[in-house]
Amino acid sequence: MSDLSPAIDQAATPIQELRARPTQWGALVAPMLVLVFIFFVIPILYLLRMSFAEQAFAKSVVPIFGVYSLENFAEIFGDIFFLDMIVNSLIVGTGTVVATLLISYPIAYYLTLTRGWERTLILVACLLPLFVNIIVAVLGWYILLLPFGVIQNMLSALGLIDGPLGALKSFWALITVLTYEHIPFAVLILAASLQNISPDKINMARVLGSGVYRTFLTIVLPLTMPGVVATVILVFALSISSYLVPALITGQQVMVLPIAIFSYTSYLLNWTLAAAISLILLVIVAGITFGLTILANRLTRRGEWEIV
Amino acid sequence: MLLALRLFIYLIVIIMLLPIMMSLPMALTAGSYVTFPPDGLSLKWFIRMSQDLILMETIGRSFVLALFAALLGVILSVPSAFAIERGRLAGRTAIETLITSPRMIPQIVLVLALLIFYEFIGLAETFAGLVIAHLLITVPLSFRTLHVGISSLDRRLEWSSAILGASRARTFHKIIVPHLKTFLIAAFTFAFIISFNNVTMALFLSAVGERTLPVEMFNRMYVGGMTPVLLAIAFVLAVVGAVTFIVLDRTIGVLKYLSGHN
Repeated sequence: MSDLSPAIDQAATPIQELRARPTQWGALVAPMLVLVFIFFVIPILYLLRMSFAEQAFAKSVVPIFGVYSLENFAEIFGDIFFLDMIVNSLIVGTGTVVATLLISYPIAYYLTLTRGWERTLILVACLLPLFVNIIVAVLGWYILLLPFGVIQNMLSALGLIDGPLGALKSFWALITVLTYEHIPFAVLILAASLQNISPDKINMARVLGSGVYRTFLTIVLPLTMPGVVATVILVFALSISSYLVPALITGQQVMVLPIAIFSYTSYLLNWTLAAAISLILLVIVAGITFGLTILANRLTRRGEWEIV
Repeated sequence: MLLALRLFIYLIVIIMLLPIMMSLPMALTAGSYVTFPPDGLSLKWFIRMSQDLILMETIGRSFVLALFAALLGVILSVPSAFAIERGRLAGRTAIETLITSPRMIPQIVLVLALLIFYEFIGLAETFAGLVIAHLLITVPLSFRTLHVGISSLDRRLEWSSAILGASRARTFHKIIVPHLKTFLIAAFTFAFIISFNNVTMALFLSAVGERTLPVEMFNRMYVGGMTPVLLAIAFVLAVVGAVTFIVLDRTIGVLKYLSGHN
């Protein structure tokens, strides 16, 4: 019997574990919380504070206390240049969302229909950009869209256009490249969403006499609406806050909020104004996220959408 | 209709692959400029690239940075994911949201906040500051991956191990780590890739002589436009990315780990 006693002692371990004091678990999560608190919560709160500071403190290297002012926001909302920029950002975000959905939904749908090498090929093509630095793809697009670049030479050779295409510096180029960048995320979300639909539901609709299109419109599309909403939120938030793509593709031609944030931070050294523009960007992203989430929840509760 | 859909899908497949593969034919040019079609064939720009000391130095720096960020991220994520999953902590949803929130807000806003904060505490333009910034954007991902892994562990195996007399350390080493292995690899690798490829953070936070590879590429492109050297390094990155993708898919399976996060 004495041989077994250590084992019996040890048998208490799982029970002890369940009874472990919260402080022990707290100690495990503490380093992470300290990191996030010091280097995320405090800097963001200070940034918000700074957006309400006077411009006299534009590059203050000591923390600002006390003086609150709406000077930065007065400057932003009083200047047609900034208002234009906000509108540009919204147009770019919306355009990217629409284009991404129109391309990614058919891909995700087709992925449910196919197997084998075809499925692998599509997945590789759609997911590879996640593993390769986005600058590589931007360089590729740059060559394709350049005046006297590949697309223009091809179109000229076919006799479709005459003279420079001038695509690189336009809205369309920006939306094209941003869409390209976000298709992988959208395909992942939408494919997961489509795969979750039980085949029984589709079969039932077909047995009851509904055609392919009707089944799609009344069964498949409504069931994937939560995935569509998630895609809209993600792609909008990512594309409206992208700095890299606008900087390299359109430069100053299409002014969007991140370009202004960078300019005011690096060249113009007006940190309070940069902070205020950041706050506006944050409010837009948060507004879209919460607005669409609430809308989606309400529609789900009314039974129009069913989450399987 | 299905044929039309199929044609559309193939067109998109080509468009998705084209920009990434574009760099090879253009980098093989023998001329001094980027032209289409390429002006003769040669490897001279690849040789020029390997002799570019600044570029090589930035590659090393990016590598070390990504290694630190990914490793520290996993080290921080394992205990906190355990605590969140098993600890029944008060406010665990709030803690989870807090840990994952650095990825929810625009990176350009996060980096501006960090830049201003770093000026106060003296971390501006330091490597440590850059590592912390990269840690912030990779931790939400490694945390979520490991959280999924830990919640999928079979507790009965741990209890059996304990009942059979194994110490906690031994149980951790012999039962938990082997079962978490693929999740640990996934968490580390995706964090590494995100950190290595990130431009925005390092663009604001790295000092002039100490750029990372993506920032160096960005700056050369932003200031000097396109040169064949840039395309040569882009092609190398494309190949490395594709190989990583294939190896990961063959070993741990990519789709399972990607569908959860963005």
